[in-house]
Parts: sequence; structure tokens; C-alpha cells
Amino acid sequence: MSEFRPTLRPALGSKQPVASATFGLSTLPEGTIIHVLARPGEQDVAHLLASLNGSDPHALRPVSPDQWFIVRDAAMPNQEMKGLFAALEPRASGVDQSHGRVRIRIEGKMAQRALSKGTALDLDSSAFPVGQSAVTLIGHIAAHITRVSSDAFEIIVLRGFAESLWDDLTRMGLEFS
Amino acid sequence: MASLVPCPNCGRRPKEEFTIKGAALSRPGADADSENWFDYVYLRDNPRGAYEEYWHHTSGCRRWLVVMRDTLTHEVAACRDATDGSRSERRK
Amino acid sequence: MSSYRLPNLGLVSRDTPVSFTFDGKPMQGLQGDTLASALLANGRMLVGRSFKYHRPRGILTAGAAEPNALVTIGHGGRTEPNTRATMQELYEGLEAQSQNRWPSLDFDLGALNGILSPFLGAGFYYKTFMWPAPLWEKLYEPIIRKAAGLGKASYEADPDAYEKSWAHCDLLVIGAGPTGLAAALTAGRAGARVILLDEGSLPGGSLLFETAMIDGKAAAQFARDTSDELRSMPNVRFMMRTTAFGWYDGNVFGAVERVQKHVREPVPSLPVERLWRIATKKALLASGAEERPLVFGGNDRPGVMMASAMRAYLNRYGVAPGRATAIFTTNDSGYTLARDLEAAGVDVAAIVDSRPAAGVDYRGKARLIREAVVCGVTGRKAISAIEVHRGDRTESIAVDALAMAGGFDPIIHLACHRGGRPVWSAEKTAFLAPGSLNGLEVAGGAAATSGLAACLGEGIAQAQAALEGVGLRCPPMDLPKVEGDDAAYSSNPLWSIPGVKDKAFIDFQNDVHLKDIGLAVREGYGHVELAKRYTTTGMATDQGKLSNVNAIGLIAKARGVSPAEVGTTTFRPFYTPVSFGALTGAHAGHHFQPVRKSPLHDWAKKHGAVFVETGLWYRSAWFPKSGERSWRESVEREVLNVRKNAGLCDVSMLGKIELSGSDAAEFLNRVYCNAFLKLPVGKARYGLMLREDGFIYDDGTTSRLAENRFFMTTTTAYAAGVMNHLEFCAQVLWPELDVRLASVTDQWAQMAVAGPKARMILQKIVDDDISDAAFPFLAAKEVSLFGGALHGCLFRISFSGELAYEIAVPAGYGESVADALLDAGKDHGIMPYGVETLSVLRIEKGHVTHNEINGTVVPADLGFGKMVSATKLDFIGKAMLQREGLAASGRPQLVGVVPIDPKHSFRSGSHILAKGAEATLENDEGYVTSSAYSPHVGSTIALALVHNGQSRHGEEVLVWSGLHGESTPARLCHPVFFDPQNERLHV
Repeated sequence: MSEFRPTLRPALGSKQPVASATFGLSTLPEGTIIHVLARPGEQDVAHLLASLNGSDPHALRPVSPDQWFIVRDAAMPNQEMKGLFAALEPRASGVDQSHGRVRIRIEGKMAQRALSKGTALDLDSSAFPVGQSAVTLIGHIAAHITRVSSDAFEIIVLRGFAESLWDDLTRMGLEFS
Repeated sequence: MASLVPCPNCGRRPKEEFTIKGAALSRPGADADSENWFDYVYLRDNPRGAYEEYWHHTSGCRRWLVVMRDTLTHEVAACRDATDGSRSERRK
Repeated sequence: MSSYRLPNLGLVSRDTPVSFTFDGKPMQGLQGDTLASALLANGRMLVGRSFKYHRPRGILTAGAAEPNALVTIGHGGRTEPNTRATMQELYEGLEAQSQNRWPSLDFDLGALNGILSPFLGAGFYYKTFMWPAPLWEKLYEPIIRKAAGLGKASYEADPDAYEKSWAHCDLLVIGAGPTGLAAALTAGRAGARVILLDEGSLPGGSLLFETAMIDGKAAAQFARDTSDELRSMPNVRFMMRTTAFGWYDGNVFGAVERVQKHVREPVPSLPVERLWRIATKKALLASGAEERPLVFGGNDRPGVMMASAMRAYLNRYGVAPGRATAIFTTNDSGYTLARDLEAAGVDVAAIVDSRPAAGVDYRGKARLIREAVVCGVTGRKAISAIEVHRGDRTESIAVDALAMAGGFDPIIHLACHRGGRPVWSAEKTAFLAPGSLNGLEVAGGAAATSGLAACLGEGIAQAQAALEGVGLRCPPMDLPKVEGDDAAYSSNPLWSIPGVKDKAFIDFQNDVHLKDIGLAVREGYGHVELAKRYTTTGMATDQGKLSNVNAIGLIAKARGVSPAEVGTTTFRPFYTPVSFGALTGAHAGHHFQPVRKSPLHDWAKKHGAVFVETGLWYRSAWFPKSGERSWRESVEREVLNVRKNAGLCDVSMLGKIELSGSDAAEFLNRVYCNAFLKLPVGKARYGLMLREDGFIYDDGTTSRLAENRFFMTTTTAYAAGVMNHLEFCAQVLWPELDVRLASVTDQWAQMAVAGPKARMILQKIVDDDISDAAFPFLAAKEVSLFGGALHGCLFRISFSGELAYEIAVPAGYGESVADALLDAGKDHGIMPYGVETLSVLRIEKGHVTHNEINGTVVPADLGFGKMVSATKLDFIGKAMLQREGLAASGRPQLVGVVPIDPKHSFRSGSHILAKGAEATLENDEGYVTSSAYSPHVGSTIALALVHNGQSRHGEEVLVWSGLHGESTPARLCHPVFFDPQNERLHV
């Protein structure tokens, strides 16, 4: 069946984005998410990752001590990913999570207020500035939050929970929508 | 209703983000006698006051922590990553 | 408008009338009224019946402590019983119903309880209805419950939305009265992150009925200006209609915001209530003080009111409490009320002062009676006169309203929620908050400070101290100038009043009166915690806000000790009642818990799957075809088709963990009881994980995809637990090992393709050679699909006992690949199958799940004894598995069970009895763990854990279920019912 071309079914393909003056909710492209796990005790893996700049724009998100996500909007071809993983070893391992996680963007003046309905994280820009990431519970669902600009956050969530979280976020933003 | 645990990696987080395993005991060596093993698996102190427990920040950094808390007042006196201190020492 | 509304007074909007009904009767109030002030303005004195004696009750307070004026608001799913009329803002169309009366409020048959009241004292029910015991539950309790009570909840679903939110700040100020406003302003101007909350609808607290001037402005204007400034600050969050109800660990406060409890039709996009959890560095409790009632006969009659409440109705709402009033006071605050009443033109007939001399020079028109008390009242549904007792004389004075001013008790509830006990201050004659509260300070009336200027000053000073404590600098603040405030007052408590004849109430809501306390002490229940439970004082929705201190004072008096010695009962959240809706938040109905969806969920739906909830997952249970009349029919078809052709099953919900690092193999060797160190690259192996106590924890397969890269699967149920466990092993037990763990459960859509035709179907989409020679049983590797268009992992593993594979592809392509497989297998008869079929197939093969791995079995019990490594130095569970009891004879062992008559069946959970044995606990031989109808065997088959089962194959037994009254003769057998030589696996 070499003529068959598999098609991607986005996890949140059926969801309508929310856009109001103060609150927006949208899906981000299901491109690439690589989970990087440093060898225990390894130092400066963040530097190593910064030096691995590929051609396509990407971002580095801290996940927990010695763990990061490399995220980018475009999908990474298999060979390129294999090459990247090889370049990381032995100091770190790369694990493809491009399909295991789904990215959601929540933005607007009231985005922070809406998110506070789910997370105990102090999202004030003094405590959670642009570029900062954290894993936390949003309601009953664990998710990774990054402040990507003063009024916008990127949320990375397990694919299986993406629809549930989307519905929850929609409700949290209802009063601002 | 609420209780905040000072995760050394993530800051103060509500207890709902954590899974509690129980007393922070050292695992006996493989050659330890059966009495040691029995104590490790089954025997627990139930102190009124300071107690060290393993907590897992399941919905956060996913690190195992050693939480020193007071069973009477719920005050958390200290909270450290369980690996800290043991890794360098054991990695000889 | 009724004649009780006074002209030109108060903060109500006179040109905005508001219509409402009380017990169906239409009435009018004004914008800015509470239900209580509107009822009073309408001359409605009687608003409820008491809990036990059904005594007529009026409005006692103007705030949160109200014990009497409890009404039911709304109807249908929006019914809210026990709403305090004093806290309920009036809105157009509000419907209020009185409670605990039948047939009507004015004529209540339950009032007969009042006549019987000499027999209904504390402990009466327990003493009287003790015998015969069975009648308590069947007869006495239902009758008592019917007669006593408050409002009734609705059986209809609440149509409104609720939510929760977190908030964070440097300083939380609880209460927006003078103290709180001053504190918040100080901290706000200093740039701190401040949250100020107040339970009322308008900021100001006591300033809303205060007549003093602050900085040359009316007190209410000062409150308005200050809150306007606070609202303009981006660093201040000002929350009105918000009650802080609890103080919790980590300096977190719980608060409930009544977002839409003051509107008739809530806007659907907003919650009606919002539950806040506020994490703060410092908190200031500025909750003020509660006025203490005086315990005289008939102090509960409509028309008797707290003096501060009367002042609030007068000055804030412009409502006269009556035509002719009297004031019974123990301190100077009574004179402030007298002055305000007279200024408003309300007649004050008398001031009854318990002291020989007042601290103020009163020059009004009222008759001043010193060294006197009110000992009783006349009138039932409304008072008509008071009985004034002085020396040995009692005289009657005609009034229709009486204010009682018994001194003030600081509201310190929240300060005691974390274990601290209130401390009796002989100097302040009040209970104060415990000292040294970590993170919380108390100021103003809540700290027994009296006088406006002193409260303002304390608010400023405490805010400054709090900010310094968190390293913030505070610019100096000027103390506002106060004019016309009355001197600070103090008073000696007046616990007991001479000349009392009628019932003198301590706890209004629970109908506890003076004699009940005496009885409790006499009968040995004088300890405050016992007295509370014996008399019920301090219980119910008001939690003793008005009654506790009087009860303690009276117990102290009866026991001849100081209130300090009596102490208080324990304060616990909630300060005021919190609705279940608010506590539940948004997690109700189908939002109760998240749904976890497989990447093949929609694919299964497309093929008509019937879903079953397993944990948070929805798994496809079976795929009915048209014409099939029962699930059994569908499942049998699916089972037979897998064994004859091929089936496709979604197994994406299995836990999947990727392990890498140079010590990954060593790590696996330690977490599994069997050997993994030498597992070759490209191979999968079944593994058993034990708990440290030696019992089996979980099972699954782990494949070595590269020298230092492994792919583990766990059971669906234990996926999260296994990941936590492995992280514990890696981080805590063996941090010296280089192993890295990533959960990849959601990354892969995983499908089992099982059946004799599985290979030829799969080969159509897999580029790699998967012939038996190239890819034998237990092979595992990364594969290329569709000519390199996609990459996935292929495992030749089998749960069904057939030639089978599991293929994992990136989740987003799962549906597409599943479609391709069905298409590729169309001519080979491929069909989707669900977990029911999966279950039948695995029982036929004797494969175990958590039905068998139920926490009571060790590997040998399941026939896995030989798997356990004898050579490994260490693995989880090794030491404890060597206990002799875990190898002793008589252990439960896995066996198969079939009915002797194939027409018979039995179910999981049934017990195994030896043939002819009686069904007793001693004769219990074990139990059925899994059962199913096997189309291949042609009868029910089962797996069971039976004592010494492995040596009892062939024995006739009885399968017994007492729950279902079933008894089935059966035979124990080998637990593999199909292809015991495993020939079909290796084709």
C-alpha cells in the first residue's frame, strides 16, 4: 500500500477557536514536540540544546529538572529527528512526543484570570514572567504552561486529555468571551 | 480545602498535585536480614510531631521529594528533592 | 411605602422601588435594601418560627450572625433554604418564604411544641425516647425531625453554574470596614499586591451606619471615596459580596463570592457563586465585632433587636424599628443609638442601663433608668411592653421595639481555624484571638479595639507591619481625622439578669435557653464541649455567633469559675454556610472528571462501538452489527472471527513508557522479578513487577528497541501508578543508575492485529519483511509503513493466543492507519473487536489481568514461579518473596473452572466449595476471578484462585454465589482452554 498516504487527525480538529477582545483560545499546529531528558547529574544540557539550533524556528521549554520540550510548529522529518536524537546522546535522550502532547494557546487581557480558575500557580507577571514554564494542575488535568507574551500562554497537554481541557478552558473563559 | 507544599523545583503548590507514598525510609540492602525487611515494608512510626515522608509531585515536576511535616500542625518544615545529596554520594 | 420608612435617611435609593413577595404577599422595598430591611420597612415583624418550639421570631441582627430571620429564596432548582434575610440583597421579583411553620407563619400548629416546652428541655429526647430502642429509628426520630427543623432543600437540579479560582497576594485584608479600608489603602499605596474582601454589598462595614465625620466627610462618603481609590489601583483586587470562610495550611484562605445571588435571572456566562482559594503572604483579619445579646425573658420576641442592628436599619436603610422604642444597655453604645433614634424622630421611651452611671452625659428625652434591667417582655408575635426590673420592683413600659446592647465580642472565628484557641481577656472582658498567629494579624473591632480613630490607626499600622514582614517598604500614612465619634467604650458582661420568668434564650437558632445550660451543668455536662452537645448551643448554621460567649459566661457562673477556665469549643470552617454548588465548582455533571480519549476513539465510534468507562478512558467494548440482538451475539462473532480470520482492537490505553540511558537494562532487571539484562535488541519479553512485599504489582511486555532504549507497556489500570513507581526507583532507590523515563502513552495509537490472517494483512502496510523467519514470535522493532510515509513500532506479541501483532503509530495517524488496516484486511474478513472479546480470548488462553493480579498473589500462585530469577542479586520484592508463607502449601493457585453441565453458567466473584461441602467460611476454597462464555469450549469458562488449585485439576467442586442464590456443579481444570501447546502463536 505504498500509494496510501496516511492523514493526520488533529486532536482538537473539531473545536472552534474562541476570540473576543479580552480572551482567546486557539489550537497550535501539531508540529513537533521533543521531550529531552538529560542523563542524571549531567550539567549544562540547556547549553547543548541551545547550540543545536536547527533551521526551523523552535523554542525550548523547561519541563522539570533535567527535562525540556523542544517545540516547533512544523513537523520534523523522521531522519532529522533521528539525527537530533543521536546528537543528544549520550548526554541526553530525545523522545518524540509530537503526537502525545497537544498545544493550546490562551491569550488576551483576561487569559490570566481565566487560567487562575484552574491552576494554583501564581500567574502574575512578577512571579511568572514571559518565558517561564511550569507543570501544574488545571482543574483535574496536569498541563505544562508557558507564558509566551505578557498576555498569552501556551499550554501543552497530554493528547488524551486535550478535548477535556479545551472544554474546561472554554468554560473558564466564558465570562470573557 | 487547601494546603501548599513548597516543592523545591516548582515553588508552593497545592497538595492535589502530589501523591504521598509514606514514611521516608531507606531501603535495606539486598542481603539485609528478614527482620530489617519486615520493618521496612510493614513497620511505621506514628509520631505526634515531625515526620519525614516521600511525596511525588505527580502533576508538577514529577520528582520525588522528602517532605518534613508536622503531623500535629501540618507545618512543612523542609522539602527537598529526594535525589539531592544521595546522587553524588552514591555515584562513586 | 410604609410608614416605617423614614424620610431623608440612609443609603437606599428612594426613587428605585423594588417589588418582592414574602409568603406570596406582594411588598415593596427600595434599591439598596436587604430583605430584612425591606420587611421591617413594611412593618413585618414576624418572619419565622423557631427550630424546636416554633416560637414566633423576628429580625435580630443586620448581618451574618442572624439566627432567626432565615427564609427560603427562589423556587425550583434555585430554591435556597435558610437564607439569612439580613444578608439577602433585595432584587426585583425576589420570592421569599418563611420556614418551619404549618399551615402558615401566623397560625402555626407546630407552636404546640411551645406549650409542651416544659418537657422539651435539653436532653429530653434522649431521656424520653430511649426505650424501646427500635422505635427510635422507626417512630420517634421521624416525628421529631418533622416537627423540628429549618428550610427544605429542593429535589430539582440546580440550573446555575459555579466555579473556583485561585488568587495570590502579599496582603489579604478581610473586612472592608474602617480598619480594613485603612489597611488596604496603606498597602495599596505602597504598591503591594492586595486583596480586600467583604461579605457585604457595599464597602464600609460599620461606616455605613456611622454618624461620625472622617476627614470632614460623612463616614459613608469616606468609605465610598476610599474604595474608589482602591478600585483604581491595578495592584488591588477589591471583592465585595465575598465571605472569607476558612483559614487553611500554608496561609491559604477560602472565600465564597456571591456573584449573582442578588439578581433574579443569573447571566449564564457567569457563575452564581465563585469559590476562591487565596494564597497570601500576610493576612489581616478586620472582621469587626459582634454585639452580645442579653439573656432576659422573651429576648427572642419579634421587636427585640441588637442595638447596633437597630442603628444600621435606622442610619443605613432609613427604617424605624418601631413607633416607641426602648434601649437595654450595659455600656455607652446604647446612648449613641438613643441619640440617632431621637435625631430621626423615633420616640425613645426608656433607656435601661444596668450600670449605676453612664460614661456619657445623656441629654435626650428618653427616661433614663439606671441600675436596672429588662427582665421580660409582653407580647407573642410582637412585643407590646417591656418589664423593667430595678431593685425589687418591676414596672411595665409600653414599647414596640427594644434594642439590647450587651457589649461586643471580637469576630475571631478565622483566627482559630488552624488549631489556635481564643484567649479570655479579663481587661477587655472578651475572648481574643490567640497570640502569634503565623501570617495572620487581627486589628480593629476583631482585636477588641473600640473607637473609630483607633481602628483606622490600627489598620494603617498593621498593614505597614505586614508589608515590612514581606520586605516591602511602606510610605508614611496620615491618620484620618475623626470628629463626632463617641468615646471608646468597655463594659462588664451582664451574664445573668435578675427577675427573669419567661424563657431567656441563649442560642436563638437552636432554641437553647437559660435553664438548659443550668440543667447541663447540674447533670454533669458542664465542660464546654459537653454542654454544647448536650444542649446543642452553638450548633447549626450560625455556629453560635451570638450565643457562644453568653453560654460560656453562664456556664462559668454556674460552675463558679471565670470564662477563661471554661474556655471555648473548637472553631472550624466554615464561618458562614457555603453551598455545595460552590464547593463543587465547575466539576459537576459530565464535567465531574475529565474524559481521556484514545486516538482511536472516533474511529471506534465511526464503526459503531459501544463504549465502557475504564478509569477515565472510554474503551470500545464491542462493535454491534445490524441484526445482532444482544452484546453476547456481537462478542461471539468477534471472538470467532479473530480465531478464524483476523481482528483489530484498540489497545492505545495501555501504559507506555520509554526507558533510555546506559543503565536502562540494569534498571529493568531490578524492577521486574524476571531477567531483562540480556534481552536482545529487537525482542519483547513478558515481565512481572512485584511490590516490595513480594506480591505481584503489574505485568506487561518490555521490548528492547536499541541497546539503551526500551519500550515498556503496563496495564491500563496501573499505567500512572507504574510510572510513579519507576520514578521512585530511579530517583530515590537507585539515583546512581543512568536511566531516563518518559511516559509515551499518548504518543502512540496502538492496535492489536490478531488472527491467522494478521500477517498477510499487516504486510500490506508494513514495508519491512514480517515473515515468521524475519520477524518471529516476540520480535519487536521500529518499522516503516506505506513506503516510508510513516514510522511506527511493531511487536509480535499475543494476548489472544493467535498469530498477533501490536502496531504503534503516531497518535494523530491512528485513525488513518486503522482505516488502512481494515481496508487491507477487507478480503480477509478483518473486523474490529472490543475489550469484551479481548477478555474472552484471554480467558480462553488463561492469560491473567488485574482480576487475577489482585494484590493477594505471588508469581508461583499464577504458575509463574519459574520466571522469578534465582540469580539476580536484587529486585523489587525479592527479599520478602522468600518468606515461607508465600511458598507454603494451601496458597490460592490459578485454575480453570468449567460447569459440569455446559448449559450451566456462573459468574466472577462466586466461591468455590468442595463437592458436598456446606457454604461456610471455613469451607471456602477460593473464588472465581474471571468468567466468560467461550464459543470454542461451548460453555462458560472461568479462571479461579483455589487452594492448592494446581494439583486439583479434574476435581468436582461447587461454584456458589450466596449473593445471587446460585449453586453450580463444576470441575477444576488446567487454566488454558484453547491451544494449550501455543501452536497458533508460532505460525
